Amino acid sequence: MKTTTLSRSGYKFANMNFSSKLLENAVDAFASLPGIGRKTALRLVLHLVQQAPETSEEFADAIVKLRKNIKNCQVCHNLSDEPVCEICSNNRRDKSVLCVVEGIRDVMAIEETQQFRGLYHVLGGIISPIEGIGPNDLHIDSLIGRVQTGEVKELIMAISPTIEGDTTIFYISKKLRDLDLPVQLSTIARGVSFGGELEYADGLTLGRSIVSRIPYRKDE
Amino acid sequence: MEITQLILTNFKNYEKESFQFSSQINCLVGRNGMGKTNLLDAIYYLCMGKSYFVPNDRYLSLHGTDFFRIEGHFDREEKREKIVAKVIPKKKKELERNGVPYAKLSEHIGFLPVVIIIPDDTLLATEGSEARRRFLDNTISQLDPLYLKHLIQYQKVLRQRNAALKQMGESGRFQESLLEVYDLQLQMPGLYISEKREAFVEEFNPILAQVYRTISGGAETASCSYRSPLQKEPDLMELLRKHRDKDRILHRTTTGLHRDDLVFNLDEFPLKRFASQGQLKSFILSLKLAQYELIKKNKNQRPLLLLDDIFDKLDHHRVDHLLALLLDGDFGQVFITDTDQKRVSQMIESRDSSYREFLITKGKATAL
Ligand SMILES: Nc1ncnc2c1ncn2[C@@H]1O[C@H](COP(=O)(O)OP(=O)(O)OP(=O)(O)O)[C@@H](O)[C@H]1O
Ligand SMILES: [Mg+2]
Ligand SMILES: [Zn+2]
Repeated sequence: MKTTTLSRSGYKFANMNFSSKLLENAVDAFASLPGIGRKTALRLVLHLVQQAPETSEEFADAIVKLRKNIKNCQVCHNLSDEPVCEICSNNRRDKSVLCVVEGIRDVMAIEETQQFRGLYHVLGGIISPIEGIGPNDLHIDSLIGRVQTGEVKELIMAISPTIEGDTTIFYISKKLRDLDLPVQLSTIARGVSFGGELEYADGLTLGRSIVSRIPYRKDE
Repeated sequence: MEITQLILTNFKNYEKESFQFSSQINCLVGRNGMGKTNLLDAIYYLCMGKSYFVPNDRYLSLHGTDFFRIEGHFDREEKREKIVAKVIPKKKKELERNGVPYAKLSEHIGFLPVVIIIPDDTLLATEGSEARRRFLDNTISQLDPLYLKHLIQYQKVLRQRNAALKQMGESGRFQESLLEVYDLQLQMPGLYISEKREAFVEEFNPILAQVYRTISGGAETASCSYRSPLQKEPDLMELLRKHRDKDRILHRTTTGLHRDDLVFNLDEFPLKRFASQGQLKSFILSLKLAQYELIKKNKNQRPLLLLDDIFDKLDHHRVDHLLALLLDGDFGQVFITDTDQKRVSQMIESRDSSYREFLITKGKATAL
């Protein structure tokens, strides 16, 4: 039988020996998550084992329900319980302004600032052929579709200030121009005090740059 | 500007060694394969943030180790500057000045100007255009930090554009509007680069001609001319548009500043085709010494001059001539490697320059 080796400094984790297959499976499952090593996985599993069985049930239930029922909003592609998300179906929000972001975490970061009362559009990334992401892999067509309804008057491009971010903004602006769609484009004050990714920007800076967005010249 | 002290850890064949340099002439002597060139490369690394010889940092750490560190102490404009380069596995390479890491390596370029001359430099004349573009970029980057910024941006956009073309080729779906976006993104850095290259060549030519005359004693005029696809079509976006069909077929960007070149001439004749071996050598040496002069003039600072085996295959007469030129010229700190222990020291001793000599043996140095 395999046994856990105990040394002076504690368990030897590099090559873990489990007394239980159940334990091993659970550790493997946790360790498959990003940012969690086997050592942390073991700690989490041992913690669950020491709690009441209901704790684990609730935990597992939350995951199963999440995965089974979560949807992408049909309109903005944000995560949602319903086919249309809470933000998109909120009548008090300004439907004439769309904030275009790369990912769901950008929506959360901007919502946190409580400075923005418009709606969102989640692209699902930025154009980067080196990483195999072309315009058709992003929700650009549906963005154009939303603008075509005529309700949208302004797009705020809250995209990271990188070459790929620029490509994405230029591309969208070109599409809009080619279709002759009269919409105002602006970018948030880019690259001022956050070094790259939106989700790391502190709330204050992000809120301020949303308010003081700069108009974007389409013919640039 | 000069380097006063150098401390190497696991750099190429140096496990642990330190050096105190003369502010004028430093001779590194020793047999083949002992580490003379490696020492020059370490100094170059501190100035340019990378090796002159080995593009991949992985191969620079001493065999059997996986990290290296180069520490240099410089006297620059009456101030002491400590520059440290650290390469550690799985971490981004770090370059720090007085204990503060640079956010970007490019911010350091030009801070400690340097010119290196090696026997292989003759490849500049005989090989493809890439080496000549590298010469251009290396020189202008040391003079103008914005140039390097634009160059990096241009290359990043170009890589994305080429990847896009490749994907379009594979999927069979041509996306003209995406290419147009990349053209727009190439335009801004592209025009800047092009203007700077042209201005550089103009300023460089008279200096080159003069240095060549001094070195060769010849009557010919050495010059170089700038060749760019932009000379036929000055609007970069238009140029790219004209090549779009070709790009589509070949799945890469077939025109642009990455196709620029320098053509070397003696009088009106291309060096590559007509020059003798001796003329070629003199030309290339002049090219590098003119690079030195131009950087010195623009920065009001004497670059470090690293001379690797420049006496190689020269007859006694020419060695004397060259050494006299170097010793009497207005150079700052100079490093010279030589396998012949006597040659350099005898020449220098006959003058009264301050110099220091190091015997290099298998990654160990002895001050002589
Ligand atoms: N990463 C490394 N680890 C250990 N040794 C290395 C490493 N890279 C290069 N070397 C060694 O360094 C030596 C070459 O040193 P260098 O090129 O400085 O010689 P040199 O003194 O200039 O010789 P020459 O007179 O032939 O030009 C070789 O023996 C080579 O094996
Ligand atoms: Mg050598
Ligand atoms: Zn929504």
